[in-house]
Amino acid sequence: MRTTIEGGPAFAYINVDLDPGETVIAESDAMSSMAADLNLVAKLNGGFFAGILKKFLGGESLFVNHFTNNTSEARRVTLVQSTPGNSREIQLNGQEYCLQPGAFIACTPDVNFGLKWAGIKSWFAREGLFKLTVSGHGTVWYGAYGGLLEKEVDGEYIVDTGHLVAYEPQMNLNIQLAGGLFGSLFGGEGFVSRLEGKGKIVIQTRSLSGLADWVNPMLH
Amino acid sequence: MQIDITHRPGNSAAKVSLDAGETITAEGGAMIAMSGNVSVETTTQKRDSGSILGALKRMVTGESFFLNHFTPSGEGGEVYLGTVLAGDMMEYQLDGPGLLVQGGSYVASAPSVNMDIQWQGLGKTFFSGESMFLIHLSGNGPVIFNSFGAIYPIQVNGEYIVDTGHIVAFEESLNYVIEKAGGSWLSAILGGEGLVCKFQGQGTVWCQSHNAGSFGQSLGPNLKHQ
Repeated sequence: MRTTIEGGPAFAYINVDLDPGETVIAESDAMSSMAADLNLVAKLNGGFFAGILKKFLGGESLFVNHFTNNTSEARRVTLVQSTPGNSREIQLNGQEYCLQPGAFIACTPDVNFGLKWAGIKSWFAREGLFKLTVSGHGTVWYGAYGGLLEKEVDGEYIVDTGHLVAYEPQMNLNIQLAGGLFGSLFGGEGFVSRLEGKGKIVIQTRSLSGLADWVNPMLH
Repeated sequence: MQIDITHRPGNSAAKVSLDAGETITAEGGAMIAMSGNVSVETTTQKRDSGSILGALKRMVTGESFFLNHFTPSGEGGEVYLGTVLAGDMMEYQLDGPGLLVQGGSYVASAPSVNMDIQWQGLGKTFFSGESMFLIHLSGNGPVIFNSFGAIYPIQVNGEYIVDTGHIVAFEESLNYVIEKAGGSWLSAILGGEGLVCKFQGQGTVWCQSHNAGSFGQSLGPNLKHQ
């Protein structure tokens, strides 16, 4: 399998060249174009109950698509996220990552999905009741609305809600008010995520909820 | 006529420089700015062959009802054309074989280019939820089209599949059928890919990296209900 991410940072999309017998798994509706003789099958996102949980509590799709090359030559499928922005890949060698709802684009078949309890506060902050984790050995592609900003945290770091994309699971995530009650209500920051521990976090430079909050007052 | 695409790929605009008496025809609402000596004439469908039916067809395709014709007087002038969504633009020189452009991607063309609407079976459009309507362009001269996101070409030799929301334009030499994604209807619907366009033969398809409908569906749940 050979992959290239093109069009970034504004319009990143992923070209996946599958060798014979290889499979790539992609988020629902992520395919923009593909060789006509690739095999495409929709499958439940990790078993029925896990799939249901992911859809209704984790903000992920109930079904994902498996693209398999049953021909004898390399074949291409092109995958993209729903928002303009950048995409990245993570090579998993046994470690685990937490992905925020909507960030997952695709992975190789040997990647494991899991769900972890994120907490009631996370639900209130519109970050989902559960969080999606990816682990095992393989490659994961994820994307963001806007640019991607990586940060090595040692101690604590605060990220506005809607801007967190991914983080390492040993990091402790708490949702809290941005400042005092007055500042949080009137300063426009509302809830923030406080990450504590040592590890890598990924932030997106734009947020869909931010765009919606800007558009909403203009709707009549 | 000289066409320069500026501010690519994120915020593309087309600068069209016109000699005196030359005209560029553009989708209604596409003009950003122009010289003071440029006059605008608004018609339905194509000038001189404008008909109500043609205009209705344009409305159905998701293109605006009216076309504007920009013509400078005196020493010539320029017109800047833009679109609503962030993305790229492309100029294509028609010379013989025709070009099919997806409804929302048409921006402008020279008056020497003929325009006609082709729409697909209504049932298919209903299922896809996307307006799989195409504008057939023929004749000789420049055409400008736009995309949501980047544009990437695919040289089709045999068969290739493109999601209906990602088609920008394709050469007339290609045959196409609209069909379900994957092996079964169940899979196509559950997997969220729905209908796709299968191209057959030899020719070029220009795809847009992003799907405006998918972006709208991501943003929609965050918007307040009316």
